[in-house]
Amino acid sequence: MRLEKCWFCSSTIYPGHGIQFVRNDAKIFRFCRSKCHKNFKMKRNPRKVKWTKAYRRLHGKDMTQDSTFEFERKRNRPERYDRNLTENTLKAIKTIDKVRSRRGEMHHKNRMKGKAAKERREARKEHDQQLHMVVAPGATLGSLAKDATATPAKAKVKVQQESEENRMEE
Amino acid sequence: MAANSASNCILVGRSLLRGLGNFSSGILRSSQETTCNSFLAQQIRTFIQMRSNLKVVDNSGAKRVMCIQALKGKKGARLGDTIIASVKEAQPGGKVKKGQVVYGVVVRAAMQRGRCDGSEVKFDDNAVVLVNKQGEPIGTRVFGPVPHELRKKKHVKILSLAQHIA
Repeated sequence: MRLEKCWFCSSTIYPGHGIQFVRNDAKIFRFCRSKCHKNFKMKRNPRKVKWTKAYRRLHGKDMTQDSTFEFERKRNRPERYDRNLTENTLKAIKTIDKVRSRRGEMHHKNRMKGKAAKERREARKEHDQQLHMVVAPGATLGSLAKDATATPAKAKVKVQQESEENRMEE
Repeated sequence: MAANSASNCILVGRSLLRGLGNFSSGILRSSQETTCNSFLAQQIRTFIQMRSNLKVVDNSGAKRVMCIQALKGKKGARLGDTIIASVKEAQPGGKVKKGQVVYGVVVRAAMQRGRCDGSEVKFDDNAVVLVNKQGEPIGTRVFGPVPHELRKKKHVKILSLAQHIA
């Protein structure tokens, strides 16, 4: 039994799942599900599709270099069964998983370090730039409308219109 | 029919755009071409049936054969099945001649075929290896990848001649 990796999204393919496409030069493309197969048929590049492992690795979203990744390897020679070795391996899998998840969390934490400060900075900037949009809590809608009518802008427009009409008559 | 009309639509759209006053925007054209390609790639692949043309991937001398009978299955032949075919194109001086009726084993099919573990396998094209009535290959070489399912179909000779086994 061998667990393969999906060509598109790099997820694990368990036996009996997915489809494989054999190109005429004998290169095998394995896909974990029809979603990945369809994306391949649409000639999409997995490095440019955001949900794939390739994209996340390329853009520094996930942890890439870690000693916990080096245990998983493709081996072409079947291992001779050894009860003690198997037992130890099964025990080690759990601990390695734990270590990996912890390191992954740390990576995520480091990545999100400046996020809160950045958001605060941006909010402050927006507030400063859009200050004229801010209405005092005491101001009501009616008073605002009154202010608008009180301005002499309307009279100005009238004068302009009259002058235009005069010109037309002439 | 539907496939034809869709491709026509794309062609019409392209010509219209060109008529609208040369955009000559590479982006537009490339995007259209990619959609066209994807559309072709998503064409539904089906059984090998009467009048299917298949590539011959051995050195028997035939280049292209046309299926005239699938020996198994109601709908047609699939990966690993045997067919009867007539030779449409042949190289001069080969073991088989044009117009001859031959037996062949489908070693590559674009239609997916389920494997024993439940996953599926599909190939780039439809290809056949010519055999005699007893199931022994006529040629002495087999080109390109062949599936390991041929062992189940008792075509071990083809498997041993093949370059790659998928």
